[in-house]
Amino acid sequence: MTYMEDRDLAARASSGDVEAFGRLVRDHSALVYRVAMRICGEGDAQDASQEVWVRVWRNINTFRGGSAFSTWLYKVTVNTCLSAREREARREMREYVSELPFLPEPPGGDADPETAALNAERREEIEKALSYVRPDHRAALVLRHMEGLSYAEIAEILDVPDGTAKGWVSRGRAAMLVALSNNGDGPEGGSS
Amino acid sequence: MTVRGEERWEVLESIGAYAAGELAGEEARAVERLIMERPDHRKLAESYARMLVMLSVLGNESVEAPEAIANYAIRRAYLSAFMRQAEDFLGGIGRSYLDAFVYYFGLRPARRESYGGEI
Repeated sequence: MTYMEDRDLAARASSGDVEAFGRLVRDHSALVYRVAMRICGEGDAQDASQEVWVRVWRNINTFRGGSAFSTWLYKVTVNTCLSAREREARREMREYVSELPFLPEPPGGDADPETAALNAERREEIEKALSYVRPDHRAALVLRHMEGLSYAEIAEILDVPDGTAKGWVSRGRAAMLVALSNNGDGPEGGSS
Repeated sequence: MTVRGEERWEVLESIGAYAAGELAGEEARAVERLIMERPDHRKLAESYARMLVMLSVLGNESVEAPEAIANYAIRRAYLSAFMRQAEDFLGGIGRSYLDAFVYYFGLRPARRESYGGEI
């Protein structure tokens, strides 16, 4: 799906063409679900994704085509997930760092980091640790290190200056390591 | 937060930025010195590198969205488009009836004719 095709479909969808909207949904459904899963957690990802698409249909006329459709879609997805997480306590992991966090070396050493990274237990720990990171920092971390976006794109999606986006990624990264060093259980093994 | 706690957090963030390859020049050299100085800093840098690999591996995995999401979204859009059209259609009929009613009972306010000679 190219940038131009997306723009064309979005323009048609904004004038009420449901077929065009349907193509956008099918082409980008994985992106929305993936990001929702990482920011909201697997349990809430489906509801959040459905809410994202309802918002997209309702507001597609506000997409002006100044940036890629996917950037706009990231923005709607992140905003939907963050507003769902509004009441979540804003944990400042820095309050809990009494010593430097370390990850144990994988049993096979670092020779094959990908194999070590992908085992089911580790995956569960990563997902759990992510949930301990403050939602806005988590969103920035996911966009940077899991979606591979640039700081300029992250800043545009989160609607903050570049420096803030950089700071949120940095804090999210550190908080994630603290939680992960505790086997994904967050500070002091609890969820305070 | 204590001064030591604050410093610890700063070390944590700067080694993280280094491990992510986001530092250059003098900033990178300063963090390299930190890492060389202390074994726990070295272990921290290794932990970051390991975590970043895990995040990127997980990020590169393909994720399939449940079919139900797209079906729901498209159904909702069809429904809302239908409602919009029905609203326009009924609104149009209503307006036509109203116009006919106004015309039939002569309720239209009389147009003020201008003869160009108003005082």
